[in-house]
Amino acid sequence: MAIHEPGRRLMLSVPLKFVQKRVGGGGHRGVSASLNLTSMIDFLVVTVVFLLMTFSASGEIPVDKNVKLPKAENTVDMVDAPMISVNGSQVLVDGTAAGSTRAIEDAGRMQRIDELFNILKAKRELWRATQGGSGRPFPGVCILQVDQMVPALVVKSVFQTAAFAGYPNVSFMVGQLPRSDRPQ
Amino acid sequence: MIPMIDLLVCCIAFLLITAVWSHMARMNADAQVPGPPNPEKELNPQPPEKMLHVEMRQDDKFTLIWKQGPTVVNSIDVPRHAIEVEQGPVTAIRFPELAAKVSEEWKANGSHRDASDKKLDQAVLHTDNKTVFKEIIAVIDAIYTPKRDFGGASKQIPAFNVTFSVN
Repeated sequence: MAIHEPGRRLMLSVPLKFVQKRVGGGGHRGVSASLNLTSMIDFLVVTVVFLLMTFSASGEIPVDKNVKLPKAENTVDMVDAPMISVNGSQVLVDGTAAGSTRAIEDAGRMQRIDELFNILKAKRELWRATQGGSGRPFPGVCILQVDQMVPALVVKSVFQTAAFAGYPNVSFMVGQLPRSDRPQ
Repeated sequence: MIPMIDLLVCCIAFLLITAVWSHMARMNADAQVPGPPNPEKELNPQPPEKMLHVEMRQDDKFTLIWKQGPTVVNSIDVPRHAIEVEQGPVTAIRFPELAAKVSEEWKANGSHRDASDKKLDQAVLHTDNKTVFKEIIAVIDAIYTPKRDFGGASKQIPAFNVTFSVN
């Protein structure tokens, strides 16, 4: 009996070229692959659950890039109010320049920031003109976005200026620390 | 099956677009400015309530002072030991001893502890001009640590309302 070269034998007798090519080992992989639906749906459901858990209705709060906020544990949710940002020596109200704190630091004593006072007063008057007729009292809420290394002297000056301008309900914006008494 | 996968994909797309990755919050520190007097209402003089004054003017200690009007009721010193907590690029400061002492003091001397009481005890924070802002926040955070029930529901609110003193 003659000795043959080893190789595939099955179905080689089928007189079709694509069959012989496939059984001979020379075929290509199919262009369409099957997808495991169970694992795909699992993945989609887990992603939806994760995104729903991290969902926040209050939306993204713009934070000045130059401000490094301190973090705290016992906080409350943000509200829509004028945002006073203090970074280094600059004061901004809703992104608009509203004075400098350099004079306060140089003087070494608390003083009113006139530009900030005027802008906040204008905002309060605008609120009165647009919503004053509704009978609701003016909320007087503003949020201070202060860099964590700013000295108390500057914080007090900005705080007092805001109170003088009719915004006594001041809140400090902070990063959220995980609550130690709440299971994670 | 296809509509379900479509729904899931749409949900993911919507949630990804509206996702908020930086979680910001706020801490109240109102200025306690009294409103204008109402000329139509007769004023009834109220006895002053006890207030907790937290002094952070010294480097080594806090002083907790209970005052009723100008009268000092009690004064306690708490060592000022800051604990640094690494939170990503920011190091947060905590004062756990102060938080524990404030909770203890509120349990002993707080005037508004009943769940049906809508008023809060008042704390006033006094600081010197050099203290950095992150330490002020750490102290306010410590004062907000004691919680109490509010209303009939299982809602917990901070026992104190904090006022930031500019003096």
